[in-house]
Amino acid sequence: MAFADSSIVVLALPDLYSRFDTSIVGVSWVITSYNLVLAVCALALVPVLRRVEVSNLSRAGLLVFGGGSIGSAVSGSLPALIVFRCVQGAGAAMLLAGSLALLSALYGSRARGLAVWIAAGTFGAALGPALGGILTQLFDWRAIFVFQAPVALVALVAAIEAHSHPSVGSGATRRMAPNLSLGLLFGALVGALFLAVLMLVSVWGASPIGGAATVSALPAAAFVAHRFAGELSARTAAGAGAALLASGLVALALLPATSVVIVILALALCGTGMGLAVPVLTRRAVAPDHGLVHDGTVTIGARHLGLVLALVLVAPVLSHDLQQGSRDALLGGTKALLNADIPIQQEVPIVLDLRTVVAHAPRGTVPDLAEPFNKRGAANDMRLRQTRDSVVGALQDALTRSFRRALALCALLAALALGPILLARRSGVG
Amino acid sequence: MTTRKGRLVLAALAAAVVSLIAIELALGAGSFGQPRLADPCTATAGSAEGGFNGMVERLARATLDGAACKLHTTREELVLSFVPAAGTHRIRWTRETIDRALRAGLTRAAHNLVGNGIVGDALAFTLTHAVTPLIEQFLQPAR
Repeated sequence: MAFADSSIVVLALPDLYSRFDTSIVGVSWVITSYNLVLAVCALALVPVLRRVEVSNLSRAGLLVFGGGSIGSAVSGSLPALIVFRCVQGAGAAMLLAGSLALLSALYGSRARGLAVWIAAGTFGAALGPALGGILTQLFDWRAIFVFQAPVALVALVAAIEAHSHPSVGSGATRRMAPNLSLGLLFGALVGALFLAVLMLVSVWGASPIGGAATVSALPAAAFVAHRFAGELSARTAAGAGAALLASGLVALALLPATSVVIVILALALCGTGMGLAVPVLTRRAVAPDHGLVHDGTVTIGARHLGLVLALVLVAPVLSHDLQQGSRDALLGGTKALLNADIPIQQEVPIVLDLRTVVAHAPRGTVPDLAEPFNKRGAANDMRLRQTRDSVVGALQDALTRSFRRALALCALLAALALGPILLARRSGVG
Repeated sequence: MTTRKGRLVLAALAAAVVSLIAIELALGAGSFGQPRLADPCTATAGSAEGGFNGMVERLARATLDGAACKLHTTREELVLSFVPAAGTHRIRWTRETIDRALRAGLTRAAHNLVGNGIVGDALAFTLTHAVTPLIEQFLQPAR
């Protein structure tokens, strides 16, 4: 759950954007704050892990996380929501720092506990948007956080039952390369987990459940790839995984149309890359015998730091490009309207209505340009319907293009993750 | 160690990546989402229905082109400059400038129709008077 929380709010971002009347950068802090506090707290916990009982740390983390979830659910303003997301992040850091030890105790072996932890870390973040999307559409964005509180309570009961005495260990500097790659790969995943979802819901008008269904290609492909990873050497799996994630993001950046099929194929490539690289790199970053808790906590910090780095880089780029995209969208829509094969007496009132629709569109939403056409019987008038589709299509196309540079930036992060993997190959470590 | 099956699957994945990106480029990914706006000074008014309504329509479109040409912009930019909520702050004309440009565009469009032998002087005069209220209606909310 704490892994999924990195991305669970994504499909609720459009709701939050209009509910709190904020900017893209402002609303992105709902995700950034959680991941930033999680990363900072996880790394801050590393030096003190020897002096605390990690099982108690996890239990305390569950309590803090549950409290943050309830606070987030009842937040009445964006600053309050961000504060409670920070509380959630701090709780998640404590929880995840001790979770490896708890899982080892629950499953009776460190190797088994590590395998479950790796699977949770790989699929948790990927499943987040789908889970959040379903809850948002069935209920409300607040349901995402309401849902988490009882889950945290149940986990707390299980954590109280488990008794663990793992060796905290001290880790080793040779774990730097896989952690660096993991950080960059999780940064790259911002493109697949956040940008693609925002594009589907905010620009293409997909419902949260529709968006969740499309995005589920990612965890599904990751699951299949995870099972196939045994056919590859560890370094080949990590290298191929990073390359596939970068390629999937390039494919998303190069969309030639508003095509859900292409998005699913691109996300499947991203998921395959994730399923190949993340488990292998996590195994390399966490020593199952001596540094389980220490290494696990460092890894948590590294991957969430990567997410934060990407969010901080991508949000202003996307915000800037969407402004330009909005202008291109209006120009494209106007061109489609001016070229329309409908009588000018019919066209002028539509133009005036469109002007009203654009003026009154809620902040952060794409104006419903189809409405003035539908109102005038587009359903039964082929030429009007064609004009409507051209205008709406021009708008969606230009806004979709606005995601291009941000997605390319994420692809670059995935490509950079190849560096430590290839260097480790050359030096024989990592 | 990578198995033979592993190498085959990797080759298939590499082929899938290359194919997907090649298909995207072939489908026009390069120019996707970029509005290609015509030069209003060389644009034609395009097709329109026949009869008087078609003539009015053709004249109105030519008027927009003429006005945009006079203002050194595109007709799309010109139309959007009437919509403050559209956020195209780059263009700011006074009401008088737009009025002048549109009327000059209308005159030019009417002359073109006559010059091309599409209509006679009398019909051009009538068409001009038919289009003027449309322009007024269009500009009214922008005042």
